[in-house]
Amino acid sequence: MIPSDNPFLIHTQVATTLTQKSPTEWLFDVSENGELKADFLRTTQDLTLTIILSGIGAKCDINCIYLCNQNNKINIDIKVLHKSKNTTSSQQIRGIATDKGRVSFTGTITIPYDAQKCDGHQNHRGILLSDTAEISATPQLEIWADDVKCAHGSAIGPLDENQIFYLKTRGIPEQEAKKILLSSFFSGFISPDFDSFIQDWMTHV
Amino acid sequence: MALLEIKNLHAFVGDKEILKGLNLTIEAGEVHAIMGRNGCGKSTLASVIAGHPAYRVTEGHILFKGQDILPLSPDARANSGIFLAFQYPVELPGVGLAQFLKAALNAKQVFEGKPPMDAVQFMKHMNLRAKALGISPEMLKRPVNVGFSGGEKKRLETFQMAMLEPDFCILDEMDSGLDVDALKVVGQGVSVMREPHRGFMIITHHDDLLQYVKPDKVSIMLDGQIVRTGGSDFVRQVEEQGYDSFR
Repeated sequence: MIPSDNPFLIHTQVATTLTQKSPTEWLFDVSENGELKADFLRTTQDLTLTIILSGIGAKCDINCIYLCNQNNKINIDIKVLHKSKNTTSSQQIRGIATDKGRVSFTGTITIPYDAQKCDGHQNHRGILLSDTAEISATPQLEIWADDVKCAHGSAIGPLDENQIFYLKTRGIPEQEAKKILLSSFFSGFISPDFDSFIQDWMTHV
Repeated sequence: MALLEIKNLHAFVGDKEILKGLNLTIEAGEVHAIMGRNGCGKSTLASVIAGHPAYRVTEGHILFKGQDILPLSPDARANSGIFLAFQYPVELPGVGLAQFLKAALNAKQVFEGKPPMDAVQFMKHMNLRAKALGISPEMLKRPVNVGFSGGEKKRLETFQMAMLEPDFCILDEMDSGLDVDALKVVGQGVSVMREPHRGFMIITHHDDLLQYVKPDKVSIMLDGQIVRTGGSDFVRQVEEQGYDSFR
């Protein structure tokens, strides 16, 4: 069981230092051939994350989930700096906003002009469960090197009506249909350690 | 009492009228084909019976076992015995087929005031039907309809129909884009399930599937209405003389 204010779970931390800058702000510095693999979960508090891939061949793989209900506001700001060449980053951000919850996500990937052969990926998907919830996403790519790979994508919207209808035509009531679809939205995406917390949160939505 | 009785049904999508006073009766035990060219409203009819929220019914009734189903939600219609096999089955990434079927079967148990099936009962019920329709254990673990070919998806719709044992099965253009093998599977699925208490509505625009499932009755649909209802000889008339010969 993960308490709601525990921000992360680190799976792999090789040649990586961690500095906490404030109650909601962390900095990871990954040096040569280092690797960081971590899951983040936010339900009420902000998250500001800076990841510096400072050594050649450094890698990071970040998954972040937000669950925002009631009148909560969550700002998520993730900055990845590819300081050295041959560095790789992957950020996957998924979340749900409902009631009057408001989520703002900013994801920045910076690749300076001398950091060639870097690979940066960022993907965000947000599901809105009420008309009064809000999710905004601002991907920012600052790419100065020319021999790099970089991709980002963001999709925000309600649950798919056709999927809900399909489940309902099999006799599954609307609330349960939505729960099945929300569980599938996170399945295989984040550490199973978060599962019971997510399930518990969803039963209260 | 007819299994399904539709009277003067008018349905719109947006402000466009698709069903224009449609009448249709299907008895229990009957395999009833609905034939019509693309765009005549056949699939709309299937969606309206199943309760798709995109369609607005402005007039008429749909009685299922004598009960007006128009006020019911799609899940309540399904649990009272209506099954729709989709022309384009919807993909559910991350939702395993077995998990999906268990949720569906248990929803029906709850609806009927029965306790949910235990794991052993469920596996028996599923494995028996999977084997009969050539669904491999590997397919049961995959997410619903994700990465399946057109033929496999239709096979899975037939499998779901066999699992849920509905009283009324609507097959919406199940034969479009199917090769002979897949057609046979769907045809067998229907033939095995033919029973005196169960009715079938097979929507199609040609005779492919009807070679494997001989209909008791055929209704011809033109421009949002059923214009003629007759026997299986109508299938040949459609193939030889076209739909305009029924005007």
